[in-house]
Amino acid sequence: MAIRSKRYAEARLEASSNLELYWWVFMRISGVVLVFLLIGHMWMNAVLTDLNSINYDYVAKRLSQTTWKVYDWLILALALLHGGNGLRYVLDDWVRNPARRFWTKVVVYSLLAFLFFLGSLSLFNHDFGVN
Amino acid sequence: MYRGREGQWAFYLHRISGLGILVFLMLHVANIASAMWGPEVSNALMKFYHQPVFQVGLLFLIAGVLYHGFNGLRIILMDFTAWGVRYQRALWYGVWVLFVVFYLPFLIKIGGGILGGSHGD
Repeated sequence: MAIRSKRYAEARLEASSNLELYWWVFMRISGVVLVFLLIGHMWMNAVLTDLNSINYDYVAKRLSQTTWKVYDWLILALALLHGGNGLRYVLDDWVRNPARRFWTKVVVYSLLAFLFFLGSLSLFNHDFGVN
Repeated sequence: MYRGREGQWAFYLHRISGLGILVFLMLHVANIASAMWGPEVSNALMKFYHQPVFQVGLLFLIAGVLYHGFNGLRIILMDFTAWGVRYQRALWYGVWVLFVVFYLPFLIKIGGGILGGSHGD
């Protein structure tokens, strides 16, 4: 079960396993990192850039730089883990039938794994040499 | 509903925004991945998403990310400080102050684009 405690000390007592505690810690660390990464990401692409000018060339040029490959891949990986675990909490809360909860999770995790694969492919398939 | 005060709204908004962001992430990855099928496919899809209705959706998404992020920082303060839980309500209003400050530039830029009709091509 997800941890509901609002304090680290209590969370440690409530955690049903070490793994559950690691997830609790991970949510907080990845959360802080994502706040900065995402505000930067949105600021660069929606405030400093005119959204309507974004097209294939814009993305290709941007992702030709290793910096943005790594930056965006970090967002992808952290967001999928953070969002996937968050969704697990939600499913534990809202899908009461154990069999249905199990199969919902199977579908959700498969979808997220595919998304990670697809996202990583599209980031690293972009050429390094585009100008 | 549980008591229905600020903490309850903070929780529900956190959950709804989190789910919304995850849905957007799927569409966003699919959109960026379309580049692997060449510029024609990719540009067609991006032009489709430049329609005003999706830009309004984007404004909701950015609101969701900012709220989820700042409220997440509030949760962390409640978890790791001795005073966080005591001041959780004040912190929630602090979340909204930060939200407004960061949201305004996005609202002006994207909202202006929608109203100005600079979408499409």
